[in-house]
Amino acid sequence: MWSHIWSDLRYRGRALFHRSVVEQELDEELRFHLEQAAARHQAQGLTAAEAMRLARVEFGGVEVVKEASRDGRGLALLEQGAQDLRYALRALRRNPGFTVAVILTLGLGIGINTAMFGIVDRLLFRTPPFLRDPDQVHRVYLQWMNRDGLRTEETFEYTRYLDLRRWTTDFSEMAAFSVHPLPVGSGTDAREMPVGIISATMFGFFDAQPVLGRFFSAEEDTVPLGALVAVLGHGLWQAQFGGRRDVLGQSLRIGTASYTIIGVAPRGFEAIADEAPPAAFIPITAYAGTFRAGPDVSNYYTRYNWSWMQMLARRKPGVSVAEASADLSRAYRQSYESERSLNAGGTPAEIARPAAVAGPVQAERGPRQGTVSKVASWVSGVALIVLLIACANVANLMLARSVRRRREIALRLALGVSRARLFRQLLTESLLLAGCAAIVGLLLAHWGGVVLRALFLPNVPATAALADPRTITFALLLAALAGGLTGLAPLLQARHTDLVESLKSGTRDGGYRRSRGRTTLLLLQTALSVVLLVGAGLFVQSLGHVRSLRLGYDVDPVLYIYPEQRGSRLTDSEAAALRQRLVAVAGALPGVERAALGLTVPFWDTWTENLYVSGIDSVDYLGSFTIQAGSPEYFATMGTRILRGRGITAEDRPEAPPVVMVSESMAAALWPGQEALGQCLRISAETAPCTTVVGIAEDIRQNSLTSDRGLNYYMPIGQFHPEAAAVFVRVRGRAEEQKELVRRALQPLMPGDGYVNVTAMREIVDPRFASWQLGATMFLAFGGLALVLAAIGLYGVIAYDVAQRNHELGVRIALGARAADVVRLVVGDGIRIALAGVAAGCLLALWAGHWIAPLLFAQSPRDPLVFGLVTAALLIVACLASGLPALRATRVDPNVALRME
Amino acid sequence: MSEERLELPQGTLDLLILKALSLGAQHGWAISERLQQVSRSSLQIPQGSLYPALHRLERRGWISAYWDASDNNRRAKFYELTRDGRRQLKTEAEEWRRLTAAVDLVLGMS
Repeated sequence: MWSHIWSDLRYRGRALFHRSVVEQELDEELRFHLEQAAARHQAQGLTAAEAMRLARVEFGGVEVVKEASRDGRGLALLEQGAQDLRYALRALRRNPGFTVAVILTLGLGIGINTAMFGIVDRLLFRTPPFLRDPDQVHRVYLQWMNRDGLRTEETFEYTRYLDLRRWTTDFSEMAAFSVHPLPVGSGTDAREMPVGIISATMFGFFDAQPVLGRFFSAEEDTVPLGALVAVLGHGLWQAQFGGRRDVLGQSLRIGTASYTIIGVAPRGFEAIADEAPPAAFIPITAYAGTFRAGPDVSNYYTRYNWSWMQMLARRKPGVSVAEASADLSRAYRQSYESERSLNAGGTPAEIARPAAVAGPVQAERGPRQGTVSKVASWVSGVALIVLLIACANVANLMLARSVRRRREIALRLALGVSRARLFRQLLTESLLLAGCAAIVGLLLAHWGGVVLRALFLPNVPATAALADPRTITFALLLAALAGGLTGLAPLLQARHTDLVESLKSGTRDGGYRRSRGRTTLLLLQTALSVVLLVGAGLFVQSLGHVRSLRLGYDVDPVLYIYPEQRGSRLTDSEAAALRQRLVAVAGALPGVERAALGLTVPFWDTWTENLYVSGIDSVDYLGSFTIQAGSPEYFATMGTRILRGRGITAEDRPEAPPVVMVSESMAAALWPGQEALGQCLRISAETAPCTTVVGIAEDIRQNSLTSDRGLNYYMPIGQFHPEAAAVFVRVRGRAEEQKELVRRALQPLMPGDGYVNVTAMREIVDPRFASWQLGATMFLAFGGLALVLAAIGLYGVIAYDVAQRNHELGVRIALGARAADVVRLVVGDGIRIALAGVAAGCLLALWAGHWIAPLLFAQSPRDPLVFGLVTAALLIVACLASGLPALRATRVDPNVALRME
Repeated sequence: MSEERLELPQGTLDLLILKALSLGAQHGWAISERLQQVSRSSLQIPQGSLYPALHRLERRGWISAYWDASDNNRRAKFYELTRDGRRQLKTEAEEWRRLTAAVDLVLGMS
């Protein structure tokens, strides 16, 4: 049996790899036979020529025997494949215009899809490098109810992490982590870099070994203060330490403390980082134990007042995800009660219903999916539609070509080529084209994908498409699919080829008749481009709405300045005095209109305190109220309006009676239907003295542009953490131009290694527009692309029809049709198709509208303006695309057209 | 050609080739000649069908081929039976005899 298979393989292998030798041998063998036969006939008295002829007749067709011998060799399929390939190559080379058009169209479609795949893959599918058994690993999410409904949070307290570790049993490993941008290095070399702040247990999740030194251990990660040791990321080790081995034992300043380098992580190791890979890794307790900015967190491991880190957990084998979530939920409920025993006034568990979820490691797949990945998923869908349109275009081109080749195909069928073989040949052709398109697409994704990645994932270093096997596989799969799809159309047509009819008809290919398949493709294209353009219109409108949103403060003229203290420990009063000096100097600068102190900055940080209002059981349940503290100039500097009452004044000194301004929405939430001014608010504790409401301010947006409820209140900075304030500056003209000026004026005031960080409000707010901007840009770009492709498709079909109808048009002109009549005839045809496509597309877009609605802002997905504009655009394009061939049609010379027969 | 020559039943050509080669290595022409002579020209063997059959048998490993000088000192491709081929010949000949015997029996019924 085995020897049999072996002989078979050896034989086929020789036949395959030494094809020419084998062919030659076959030739020689048959020649020998014929010569022997001829020699015998000659011996019986025939002439040499006659003898040879007779031998051949007796033998039968030499070529047929050869073919049969090849079949006997069992190589037919492979050989035929090679033959088909050669045939396809020749056919494509003969028709370079067609070939280039197809490869570019498909390449474009494959290219944008491949580029989008790289992004979506990074956001949603790829697991962190080195992670062992990713299926068993979860990010932990906490959920509870408040008046707005279900809230989900993946960022919580270190104490909570300890609780969940203590009170769960279904997990084999748990780790806490956070990535923070921190200044790394000292003096002028210091740069802000992402730093991985992780528990020692984090390393256990990965199959990674340090390339140098060691990782830190559990003994170095203990409360209250872990060991000040750091593991360098491979990138930082290479870039700043030149990959030297003597880095071990050196000290490196990270944030406010100095760390000893004990190891170097392997290349590509990033623990869990959703954006850029961390430059270094430090024990979470070392970071928390030395944390000095903002409020007092020295009890970070026993209290629940600092949400700042996330959690990773590995299920024990045999534990289901649901069981794991239930286990976590039990522990969280216990932890919730423990928190309530410390901070009375929280929402009771029966109302808040705390629960925990063992979610996917990839944050963007979890219950708190960001807008960018949603937009990315949508844009991928759009890219797929563009590819479909491209495929329709190519299928149309192929159809047109196969109509022209009908005679050739009929001839081959008549000569005895089997239909199966013919199908294989046509399929080979389209797969070959798709293969070339895949290469074009990969190159496109390689070079052009960088732009897309910069748009979607600005903080993630790009991996080149050509260096990523997953991306390459995806491109090839897509190409195979596209090749199959586009190859299908001519195949279906070839099935119906009527031999006799096709051979009989002359050079003029029967009468004028457009196949229904081509019209369908055209309709499909038009409809899909309508859908994409409607999407683009909706996103552009939506972006306009978001841009014109009143945020409750001015963005363009405002700078945010944060004094980073390093190297010197200031007392609270020293820190407060430093801020007073900064604001005084900043306010006196030329080009600066006003300067003020403020505790928090929208979108970057928020501060909440427990609130108590008589008559309300749980203020917490009504929503999350954020506190801002400011100096008297604060409202004028930010441009936030005081609607009633007063703002902060110089009289609101620390010892003065405490006062507060609340936002309109907060007033409505706490005292519905009542006068808010003069009400009493107790801040931080139920026993705190009354803070009197003295003013109503407009709502501001500080967490989200679109879903913020505007629950904010303001205190005089003198009465609330003056030592933690930042400086806001309102400049004349554009803030970004004054940045450097302000920085240079304030820098000398900083003690020790400290420095000032100046950021324009625009830089803080703009990323919040990113998802809308992205949606609008990508939809517009891809929608435009789709429109161009559809226009080319329509043009191609109409132009082809005109060429086919040459004879008919000639007759019409000869019978007296005027140019206008001919144009009307041809353009009318194009418009009819376009109208049908637009109608289908509009219906499709109306139907799909509710899917996209959550991504829009203050924008109906059925906006008549958008639909109207898109319809108009499509019709104009259809006019242009069919107008050109129509003009050519008017120039048909009846003499020539009629005499062509 | 002449009517009295018999068409070869399907699948028997392989058996005849194997038998012809059991007497020693031969090239294609000689096999063809031998089959004609031995059957006293009563079998109709199209010369052309010989070669696909030879290649098929070679692929199956029942015969092997080598190049050598022929009687008149020309280079020719010789085929010879392999061990597998011999075994195959035995089983096929056996089957053939059983088949013809059975067919005779049926025909002998009166």
